[in-house]
This record gives sequence, structure tokens and C-alpha cells, in this order.
Amino acid sequence: MNRNNITKQIGAALVGMVLITSSISANARVWKDQKGHEVEAEYVGYEKTAQGLMVKLKSAKGDIKLPFLQLSAEDQAYVKEQAASQAPVLSGSPSQKIDQMIMTKLKAANAEIRARGAALSKEEGLSKLERQKKAEELVYEEKMTLPNKRMSDQQFVRRVYLDIAGRIPTYNEAVDFLESGGKDKRAKLIDELLDSEAYVMNMFNWYSDLLRIRDGVVMGGGGQLKAIGYVDWVKDSIRENKPFDKIVQEMLTATGTLWDNPATGYLVTDNGMPLCNLSNTFTVFLGTEITCAQCHDHPFEEVYQMDFYKMASFFGETNTRGGGSMMAMGKKNRSRSERDRLNKLLLDGGKLRKNAKTDNQLNQILGTYGYNVSDGGGNKVKLPHDYKYDDADPNAAVAPATYFGEKVDVSKHGSPRQAFAVWMTSKENPRFTVNLVNRLWKRAFGLAQIEPVDNIPGDLGGQAQNYELLKFLEDTMHELDYDVRGFMRVLYNTDAYQREACHVSPTLTQIDRGEYHFAEPVLRRMTAEQLWDSLVTLTTSNPESMQRRGLEDYQAVMNTDLATLKTADEVMNFKKQFASVGSIKGMSGEMGSKEAMAASRVGGEQMVRASELALPQRPGTFLRMFGQSNKQLIENNTTLGSTPQVMALLNGKITNQVLTDAKAHLVNEVVNNTRGRGGKTEKIFMSILGRFPTTAEKSAASSGMRVSKDKGKPMNKEAMEVAKMGNVIWALLNTREFLFIQ
Amino acid sequence: MKEGLNSLDGQSRRKFMMSAAKSALGVSMVPMLGSNNVFGAASGGKAEHCIFLYMSGGMTHLDTFDPKPGAETQGKTGTAKTPVAGIEISEFLPKLAKGFKDIALVRSMQLLTADHRGASYQVHTAYSRKATIIHPTTGPWAQRLLGKKHDTLPDSVVIGGGGNHSGSGFMGPLLSPLPIGDPEKGIQNVKATVDERAFGKRMKMIDTFDAGFQSKFKTEEVKAYSDFYDETLKLMKSEDLEVFDLSKEKQEKRAAYGMNRLGQGCLLAKRLVANGVRHVEVTYGGWDMHNDLWNVIPERAGTVDNAVSALIEDLKAEGLFDKTLIVLASEFGRTPRINANGGRDHHSAVFTTMWAGGGIVGGQVYGSSDENGVAPKENLVGAKEHNATIAHAMGMPLDKVIYAPSGRPFMVAGHKLDQKTKEMVPEAEPIMQLFS
Repeated sequence: MNRNNITKQIGAALVGMVLITSSISANARVWKDQKGHEVEAEYVGYEKTAQGLMVKLKSAKGDIKLPFLQLSAEDQAYVKEQAASQAPVLSGSPSQKIDQMIMTKLKAANAEIRARGAALSKEEGLSKLERQKKAEELVYEEKMTLPNKRMSDQQFVRRVYLDIAGRIPTYNEAVDFLESGGKDKRAKLIDELLDSEAYVMNMFNWYSDLLRIRDGVVMGGGGQLKAIGYVDWVKDSIRENKPFDKIVQEMLTATGTLWDNPATGYLVTDNGMPLCNLSNTFTVFLGTEITCAQCHDHPFEEVYQMDFYKMASFFGETNTRGGGSMMAMGKKNRSRSERDRLNKLLLDGGKLRKNAKTDNQLNQILGTYGYNVSDGGGNKVKLPHDYKYDDADPNAAVAPATYFGEKVDVSKHGSPRQAFAVWMTSKENPRFTVNLVNRLWKRAFGLAQIEPVDNIPGDLGGQAQNYELLKFLEDTMHELDYDVRGFMRVLYNTDAYQREACHVSPTLTQIDRGEYHFAEPVLRRMTAEQLWDSLVTLTTSNPESMQRRGLEDYQAVMNTDLATLKTADEVMNFKKQFASVGSIKGMSGEMGSKEAMAASRVGGEQMVRASELALPQRPGTFLRMFGQSNKQLIENNTTLGSTPQVMALLNGKITNQVLTDAKAHLVNEVVNNTRGRGGKTEKIFMSILGRFPTTAEKSAASSGMRVSKDKGKPMNKEAMEVAKMGNVIWALLNTREFLFIQ
Repeated sequence: MKEGLNSLDGQSRRKFMMSAAKSALGVSMVPMLGSNNVFGAASGGKAEHCIFLYMSGGMTHLDTFDPKPGAETQGKTGTAKTPVAGIEISEFLPKLAKGFKDIALVRSMQLLTADHRGASYQVHTAYSRKATIIHPTTGPWAQRLLGKKHDTLPDSVVIGGGGNHSGSGFMGPLLSPLPIGDPEKGIQNVKATVDERAFGKRMKMIDTFDAGFQSKFKTEEVKAYSDFYDETLKLMKSEDLEVFDLSKEKQEKRAAYGMNRLGQGCLLAKRLVANGVRHVEVTYGGWDMHNDLWNVIPERAGTVDNAVSALIEDLKAEGLFDKTLIVLASEFGRTPRINANGGRDHHSAVFTTMWAGGGIVGGQVYGSSDENGVAPKENLVGAKEHNATIAHAMGMPLDKVIYAPSGRPFMVAGHKLDQKTKEMVPEAEPIMQLFS
């Protein structure tokens, strides 16, 4: 695309816009029209009217409008210059406004690169090679200022499914969209997907990576604590589209146990590590890494060690274990005497292992009654014993106070941490919303406005290159009252999002300097979860039909009055009940966990969506191999490649056994319902890549389906068919096109 | 003072960190030896291989290699005497105590961050985590500076590593260490499921199907995957794949190392090293002991004791000990203060690393911590000195400049600008005492 085209596009974006600036420059000047009339006034802006372009001026006597065409040539040139240098007032929907801002940035960036190109040609003393290298760099950079074309419907359907539903579309879903009509079909699909259960599962993976949600809950291991209630709560919050600030407030202020108030999961996760929890809270919700201030003043940012402890002090009264306000039942259930009594029942009933005096597992379950989030017992936060700055003594108590944003009066809130939650999630907090929109932008575009996302600078103005856009996104989120779904709807409906992915990768330096202006999303490899969930889509007829749930069951079992257990069998039954909490079930409750497990087993693998599997998966499993987080560190997900991934795709169980299992949805669908190699190839391509094959690909697939009979292994006709399909399926799953989101 | 910091360049920032460390701890960084030539050829470069044992989570120094008998904060951990007068280590490491003549300790290691990720990054790469670049770890550095040691086997392997290993960083995915999740399972999925002819046919199909996409998207990530396909096909044809298979070992030997991740990881590392892999990292987690430390430390430390002493013995028996450097390190130590949950928290101000083989002279301790193990007392060692020592032992030139694709220059153990000559020089010196 050449420069004229880009100018045209920008021109198109400006059509119909009324350009007015709110701040008037101090430069009053003398204006002349073509008849020689003069007036002293400041330029304000221009607007398009039925009478043609009108220039708006501000004189001592008041506002004036003059027809542009009647101004002197000099004045006309002045107006053009002013209009170009002033940020246009935006119009249209938020999505359109984002596009206008992006186009303005791109135009400026493009002009700047062209100017550098012109300067280069005049620069002296360069060798031919140097000149060539510099010119190449400019060409590369310029590519990123020239928007790609709008993506095709085939590209669109695959990308929005992956981004919103977290998986590729099924054959039917893709075809339904491609065959549907209407100008707003894309917007409609976006709406539909945002309202789907698939969106909940996809979004959960994001939360789970961010919040380190793991099955044992506590980082250092909490014995038999179960995350399932917390997991349910996060999913419910996503499903009902609870405003993000509310979700965060609930987590930071929750009291009680994991089963009675699952939002406590956030604080329980860092049980025993309140200072780390504070660091994590800053990273996740404020995009600020302050861990180092735990031990000394931050070397590069304006965060003093004292600041850290003042912030930590907001949680100084918070306990995640024990605590005063334990419910009577929990207290009784975890008492020493109750534990001894239950163990004795097991011992007498012959239910213990040989030589064992107590049942370890039972003890651990009873031990979890101790995890209870409460406030009280005085503020435990003190400066470290080796505090070395002269503003306070080592071991001194520290009162809660904020070091940026608004000042907080703790006495006006129920507890210090309630005060903190209000402060942090306030619209006045300079980082809370920026952090959220920055992270969400990354979900849609593959790259955040500010990278890395946990390093948002204290002063955005000087550092964020796309400052106006970031500010606009912040305002948009405020207007939406933290409706994350609504915000994503805005992003997905932009032209920028709907362009073909960037064909080259921005350099780290460009990203660091904020010189990537998001003409389109960058090319991304699927996350481990997107990849896995796509495989689930290819193997099961309804990828969202199985779900892991269990808050109610967890509540029921933990709220059992243990005093009612009178026999060894009853105690064993209690343990059994506990163990069954949180297994996979049919979504609509029609299937128990055993049936659900069997129904979702294909080719020897449990093919249910990643959000419904154990968190995290064991090291070495498919999900972990492709980069699923171990849930120990914030955003520990990675999409980097490795040799073992390739080996798994070439020789592993998934591509060679699971996807070609006779029960696998794709095989079933293709083999049973389609005749002829051509038709089968089309279906396989559409199912896996979301597009139809080219002629060359069709003929390659056709010859690939020719399998020679293995003499050792006699095959029936159906197995033969599957083997033929298998070759093509295998090859498609091994393409980069499958792994990446274009 | 703070206001100006943001505008400082990297050089000044580093100076600031140095002076901050100085004023904070009352000690200076490891003294500079002056000229680079001092540590020229004399003792380094013997280690053709390196086995790096990474204790992930922050290994408590007080309850392993740097106990403080009599200190109030020592908790329940007792000590074990070594054959070297005056040196004691934890009672949970009896075998290593007995064989102390083979190992050396650095008891004055310090990092300036106490978050797992940042500290682990520094230990592995010598550099601090930055937004603009990913620095390579030792294995890829060695391959880049010394060349690949074996035709088909990878030059570096990471056993049991986590998702955060920065691998080959800016050197590109081709130099990235081969990750092996579970040493018992060895290398997975290395055999094709169809015969050679059919496999070739399938590969051809991939090329046809992927041609359009690959010609359109020329990003580094796409190219990296294509390189991985090439590497994998090479590895699949290798005749040396057996070395990844622990079932080829005698059961007694496997048991001697310990039937656990670390023990089996060490045995696999030895097999790999014996067959020409240059650098093997074995990760062993579970050290983040914020709770109930004394419930878990005997077993965890015992595992280390067993595995490391078995590894040393085995390497000796095969004549590999002198040319294989063993380094055991963690991202930080743990606080002397015992917290309310009977655990210890993150402590990066001082901790201990263990060294053996590959030219290291055993039976000695370099540097020390103060009476409670809170701060270094003498001979402070940072991430750069730590990595310089490994590089020196392996014969890597510390002053060789390698450029990242962005054009930025780097050295294996850190670099700085010599203010007089305006030339780039290595930032840190190796700990020469370990070699003599």
C-alpha cells in the first residue's frame, strides 16, 4: 500500500467529522478574506456545513464563522496547517474512535519514517552497505505503519472464535457464519460469542493465569484445600459479567472460608506470605512491580521501602488462618478431641493402614478448617529488623497509607483492607483502569500498549507513545463501569482488530519505545489452552458440554456436623464424599461424573476444555508442553516453541491416536457424512484451518490419502478410511497455519 | 535523588545499585583483579561439561550449607562435621559432609531482588530482567562461544525445568536447551508412528499445505517453529537417542542416586554428559519453605545429599569428574527469622552455592556470611561473578562480545564500559580461589 492510499483511508475516517478544539491557542492573528475585509481573531477549528466548509474563529467580540473558500490564500494555508497539527475531535462509536486515533498515529509515524528516508538520501559519509542496511530498516518499520487489508470472513471466523470462545470453530459453526448474510454479521457473531459459555471458559484461563488459581490453592501447599469453590466463583463472575472492580473488591475484602465465601481464595493463595500477596496485588491489578521495595528502596522508580510497608499495613490485621470470627461449626470440627475421636473410630473399625494410628488424609481435611480469612488481632506489619533508612527505626509499627493516588482515611471504612480496596479500584486511581485496559488490549491485539504489562510507569504522559489512545481506553472503561465484556466488544469491532495480522514482528525496541501503533493485531501462536481446546473441538461434538463444578458439594461436605459421624463407615463415607467434590459433570446436569468422564474420553485422553481440567496439569502433559502456566507465578503462560512440542505433534498420541480415533468428532463427521476425497478434504480443511483448500492442496491431499495396506495388520474398510483421513489431519495439525492466529 | 533516577542510563543505574548494595550491607562487591589476563589460562577451562543443579524456590542456606550453630534463629537444624577442620554443614547432608574434600562452597552469594522470577533470571543469565531483551542462559552461551559438541545430540538440556527458563534468549530458539520434563520418561515422542516412506509422504504434505502461510508471515516466531521441525527430524534420526533412556541403567545404580526427580535427573545428566552433551541443568523444586520447614527439610536435603554424592562418585568412576563442573545454586536463601508458620521467607542478601569437579579445588569455603546468616561478611559474590566463574571453568572467553539481533552487545558474565579506554570489558571476575 502506498502513501496515497493511507492518506485516503485517513481522509475517509475524517469525513463528516466536526473538528473543533477546546483549547484555543494564544495566537490571535489578522485574517483577511478575498475582498480585503480584516478581523483579528484566534483560530478555533472548522466544520462542514451545507454551505461548505466553515472556519470558526474567536475574536474579542465573540465567535465568528467564515466560509473557507472566501479566505485569502494565506489564511487558507494557515487553516490547513492548523487542522493538520490539531488532534481531531473524534466521532462515532468507541470502536470508530479508536480506529480514528490509530490512523492519526499511523499517518504521523509514516510521515516521520518517510522524512527519515529523505534525510538518509542526503546523509553523507555512509558506505553503500550502511546506507542499504538503514534503508532496509526503514522499509521494515514502514510496513508497520501501513495497515493490512481487512481480513476475509474465513480469517475472521477463526480468529474471533479463538479470541472470544478460546477455540477454533466447529465445521458447522464456521460454515454457518460464512453462509450467513447481512452487513452486521461480524458484529452479531461477536455478540453471540461474548454471551457463550465458551467465552466463560476462555476468560477463566486468563484469570487463572493472572491469579495463579491452582487446585491446592495455597502456594506452599494447603493439604486438602480445594480450589473448586473459588474456580466456580470466578466462572460465575465472568458468566454474570460482574464488573471487574467489583470482582477485585470482593476478593480483597472477603472473609470466611473457601467453601462459604470462595472469594477468599485470592488471599488464601498467599497464606503465610502477606508481603508477597501485596506485591502480587500490585502486579496484577496496578501493573506495578514493587517486590524489590520489600527489602530496599526501589532503585529506579519512586517507591521507597517505607511505601511498601505502609501499603502492606492495610492488610496488617488480616489473617488467612485461624482468626477470631470462626464459625462455631468449623471450630468444633477442627478441635483436637474431634479429630482423635474420628481417628479412633477408623482404628477400631480396622480402616487404617497397618501400624498407622491416624488417617493422614482425614487429618489434612480437618486441618483445612483452619483456613479462614478474618480481621483482628492488631496490625502485624512492622518494618524489617534491618530497616536502614533514617525515617524510622527497625521493627517500628507502620500505619496504613497510600504512596500515590488519593489519600485514604482508614477510619471511614469498615477495615483497613476495605479502605485499600476502595482506593485501589477507584476511578481516580491512576493505574487500576490503565492496567486493566492494557491487559485486555493485549488479549485482542497480542501486544499491550505498555509492555511489559507489569511495568506501567508512574507518569504515563511522558512514556506511553499511544498516550491518547490509552487515555481513551481508560475513559471508555470508566463509562462502561468495568464491564469487561462490553469493553472487549468495543475492541473486537474495530477495523484495526479486523485487519489481517501483521506480517512481520515488531522488534523489542519498537515495542519498548511504544512505536508499534496497532494498525492490526500481531501474529500470535495459540496459547496452550487455545490449542488444547481446539483439539477438544475436533474430537467432541460439543466442546462445552462437560464442566467441572462443585461449590455446593464442597459446602455440603465441609458443613457436615462431624459429631453426627458415629461409625467407621460413616467417617469413610465422609472422606469419599470429600474426594468426589469437583469432578467433571455434564453441563446441564444430565450426566453424573462417571458418565461424563467416559463420554469425554477419546483415544485414551480426557478431551474436555482446559478450564475444566486439574489446575495446573502435570509437567510433561500436552498443555504444559505448549506453555500452560504452572500457576505459581503471575502470567506464567508462554507461547515459545520447543523441540518437544514438535515431537509431540509429529509423533505423539494426540495427532496419531486421539484425533483419528473412530469416536473423534472430525473423523465421525467426515467419514460418515461425506463422499469422495474432494468433499472430505474440504471438510477437514474447514474443520482444522477454517478455510477451504486450494486446488494444489486438494490434489496433494488426494494423493496423501492413498495408503498402502500394511500386510501385518489387516484393516477393515472403516479403519482404512480413518487411516486415509489421518494422513491429512496429521499434516494439517503440523502446519504453522494451524498453530498461529492470523 | 530519586527524581533523577529514571533518566539515568544503564551504566549509572548499575553504579547506583552497587553503591546501594555497599551502603546497605557495609561490604563492597568482589574486588576487581585489575587486568583480565590475571585469570588467563592457568586453571580454568578444564570443564568440558557442566551439570547445573538448580534448587528452585529458594534453598535455605542455614539448613543446608551454611548452618549457624548456637544462633537463636538456627531452629532445629544441627550440624555435621567435615574432614576439614572448622567447616561444618547441616546434619541433613551427612554424605556431602563426609565427602567434603571434593566440594567447595561459596557462602557469600547475594542478589538484589527477592522475587523468584527476577532472582532466578539473574542466577541463570548474569543479567537483570529487562523489558527489551531476553538474555541467554549458560548452556546456549557455551554453544555460541565454544561450538556444538555433538552432531545430533543437543548441546544443552534442561531436565525438569519450569516455564520461566529464559533458554537461549536473544540467541534464538535453535540454541535453546532441550527440555525434558520427567527424567524417568526421558525424551518423548521421538519415534515416528508410520514407516519411513509414509512419514516422508506426510512431511511433503505439510510443505504443500503450509506454503501459503509461510510465505506470507515472515515473523520470527513462525521461522522458529520451522527451525524446530528441522532440528526434530535430525534428532529423530540420531543413533544416540538411547542415552535419554534411564531403563538402560542397572537398578542398583538408579537406586543409589535416589528414585526421585533429582536423583534420576542427576543420573540422566551424567549419561548425557558422558555421551557428549555439554551443559545439563537439573531443576529440583520444593524449596519455597514458608510453612513448616522442619517437616520437609530432612527429606528434601536428604535427596540432595544422596543424589549429589552419587553423581560425584559416578563421575569419578568414569573418569569424568575432572572435566565436569557441578554447580548447585538457588535463586536465594531464606530468612534467618523463623516466621509464624514455622517457615522461612525469601532472603537474597546472602546465601550459598556449591561447586565441584571441572577444575574446582574441593574442601574449601570462599566468602562467609555474618554470625546469623543475614548478610555477607566477606568476599561478596553477585550473579555476574557467579556466572563468570562457571564460564571461566568451562573455558569461555569472558571478554568476547556477542551481538543481539537488535545490535546490542553482550558478554557471557556481564559487561561494562572501561571509563579510561572507552572499551567494553567484562563486568565481573571469576572467583579464582576456587581453582587453586
